[in-house]
Amino acid sequence: MSNFATEPEQNIITVKDVVKTYHLGEVDVPALRGVSLEIKKCDFLVITGRNGSGKSTLLHQLGLLDLPDSGEILLDQEDVTKMHEKRRTSLRLRYLGYIFQEFALAEELTALENVMLPAMMIESISSCRERARKLLALVGLEGLHDHQPNQLSGGEQQKVAIARSLINDPVVLFADEPTANLDSVAAEEVMELFGKLNREDDRTVVMITHEAEEANLGNRLIRLADGVIVDEEKE
Amino acid sequence: MKRKSKPRPRDEEPKISIIERKIPFFLISRHILRGNKWTLCLVILLMAVAFINLVFINSLFNGIVESSDNQVINTTSGNITMQQSPGKEFIDNASGVLAQIRKTPRVVGASSRTVVPASLLYKNLQGTYQIYAVQPSLERLTTNIARKMIAGSYLSDSDTDSIVIGRQIAGGKGVEMNATSFKGAKVGQKISLVMGDAIKEFTIKGIFYTKYFEADRQAFITQKALDTMQPFYANRTTNIIIRTQKKGDEAPVISSLKEEIPDGQFITWKEASGLMKSVTNSFLTINALLTSVGFIIAAVVIFIIVYVDISNKRRQIGIFRAIGIKSYLVSSTYILQSTIYSVVGVAIGSIIYFAIIIPYFKVHPFKIPLGDVSLFVNYIDFMWRAVTIIVVSILSGMIPAILATRKPILDEIAGR
Repeated sequence: MSNFATEPEQNIITVKDVVKTYHLGEVDVPALRGVSLEIKKCDFLVITGRNGSGKSTLLHQLGLLDLPDSGEILLDQEDVTKMHEKRRTSLRLRYLGYIFQEFALAEELTALENVMLPAMMIESISSCRERARKLLALVGLEGLHDHQPNQLSGGEQQKVAIARSLINDPVVLFADEPTANLDSVAAEEVMELFGKLNREDDRTVVMITHEAEEANLGNRLIRLADGVIVDEEKE
Repeated sequence: MKRKSKPRPRDEEPKISIIERKIPFFLISRHILRGNKWTLCLVILLMAVAFINLVFINSLFNGIVESSDNQVINTTSGNITMQQSPGKEFIDNASGVLAQIRKTPRVVGASSRTVVPASLLYKNLQGTYQIYAVQPSLERLTTNIARKMIAGSYLSDSDTDSIVIGRQIAGGKGVEMNATSFKGAKVGQKISLVMGDAIKEFTIKGIFYTKYFEADRQAFITQKALDTMQPFYANRTTNIIIRTQKKGDEAPVISSLKEEIPDGQFITWKEASGLMKSVTNSFLTINALLTSVGFIIAAVVIFIIVYVDISNKRRQIGIFRAIGIKSYLVSSTYILQSTIYSVVGVAIGSIIYFAIIIPYFKVHPFKIPLGDVSLFVNYIDFMWRAVTIIVVSILSGMIPAILATRKPILDEIAGR
C-alpha cells in the first residue's frame, strides 16, 4: 500500500483555478475568482484577508466542505471535486481535521466523548477511549474528561475541539479563526498548540486568522482580496 | 517522535461498517441521559396523549357498539329470533317447537314472546307500546329483564292479572320519554289492556329499567293471562327468543335449527336490531373518520416535535457531517430518537389507559339511551393502532432527518 504524502515538499493539496460564486437571490457574489495554490506536507499555511475576501470559502473548498463551481482540488493528486459525497465524507473523517471558530462541540457529550466521536466511526469505543484521554492530556485538559461543554471555558472548549480534530490522526488540520472567541491567554495557548502540532508532529496546518501575531506563526502566508490571492509570503 | 505517514486516501474506499452503526445509539443514549429532562418528559407525554386519544375514541365507539349489541341481545331479541313462517300469523305448537329448540346444541334458553295487539290505558292516558305475553320462567333464561326491576318484582308463571312495564312507559320525573308515558305509574296501580273490544285490568307488579330506551318501552304479561283473555292464542306465539352459549354461535345454531325445523324463519340479533344497526353503523363510520383524524394529528404532532428538535440542532448536524460522521448515521440518530419517543409514549399511554382510564370508566360509565357504556378494547385493533402510531412516528422523524442531512454542510452549520 502506498503512503500519503510521505516527504516534505511533496504536495498534499493542489488547487487549480478554483472559482466559487454564491447566488444570493438574484445577486451573484463571486467569492473565489480563479485561485491556484499548492500546500505541501508540513506547511503551516496562514490565510488572511478582510471580511468577504474569500478566506473561509477557500478553507471550505480545501477541507471538502463545499464544492467549487469550476477548477480542480487535488488531494494527494486525486481530484476531490469529482468524488461522490460519501467518499468525501470518508476523506474528511480519516485525513482532515477541523477546528471551527465557535468550538462546535456536541452539548450532550462530555469532553472525552466529543473527542472520541470521530474515532468511533472506525473503531470500538474501548480502543478509542484511551487515545482520546491521551489527546486531552496533550492539549492540557487532564481531569476535565467528564465535563460537558457548558462546564468548560471557551479556551478549554477549543482545546477539546483540537483534540477531536486529532483523534483520527489527520494529515491536514484546518482551523477557521480558532482564537476569534478566546481571551488572549487562551488564544496564546491554542496557537502554541498549533505550532507544536506542526513542528513536532509534522502536521500540515491551514489556518485563517485576522491577527498579525498569529499570522507570523506559519511558514507560509497568503493574503486574499476579492476572491484572489494578492500576496504570498514564504518563510 | 514523528508520525507515521498514512495510507493514500484512494487506497481506502468508504464502506458501511458494523462498527459505525453504534454512533446513533451512542448519541441518542447521551441525549436521553444528559438532554433536558423536562423536554424529554413533555415529548413522551405528548406521544402518550396522542396515542390515548387514538385508542380512547376507538374504545368508546367500540364500547357503544358492544353495549348496544348486548342490550339488543339481552333485552329484545336474544341471539336468535324465530319468527312465524311467511304467510302464517303464528308459530303453531309453540310448546313443541320450544322443546325442540331447547334440545339443539349450544342453545341455553328459548322462550316464546307473543305480540299482543293491544293498547294500555292508565287513568285517562292511553298508549300503544310493545306488549308481549311470555312464560316468565323461560323468559328469565333468555333475557335479563327480570334482573332489571327498579320497583316491584317480575312476573311468575301463574300470574294472570299482573303486568310489568318498562320505565319509559311508567314515566315520571326525570324519565326521558315522560311526554308519551303514563307520567308516574306506580307498582300496585291498575292498568287496563285494551284488545279490540276486550278490556282487562292488570295490576302493575313491577317496573323495569334496562337503560335501553327501546326495551324500556315494552310491557309484559304472562302467556297464561293472554290465554285466559283470548283462548285463541293457546299454544301459539309470534316469536321465539333463543339464547346461545355465546355471541358468534348464531350461524351454527341456525343451521342446526333449520335441520330440525325446516320451515322455521330464524334471524340473528344483528338482523333483528333494525334501528340499532343503522345507529351502530353510523358510530363505526364516525369512528373510522375520527381514527383517520387522530392519526393525522398524531403524525403532525410527532413531525413538529422532531422537526423543531432537528431545527434546533442543525448546526450540530452540520458539524457532525463536517467531521466525517456519515449522513445516514446522523439521520438514523433522529429516526431512532422518534422511534424511542413513540415506543415509550405508546408504552406509557398503554399503562395509563389500562391502569387508570379503563378502570375509571368501568366504575363511572357513560350513560346514554342505549345503556351504560364503558370502554371496550379490541386487542388486535389496539395493537394495530400502537404499531401504526410507531410507524407514523418513525416516518415523521425520518422525513425531517433525511431532509436535514441532504442540505449543504455549510448551510447546516450556518443555520441557513
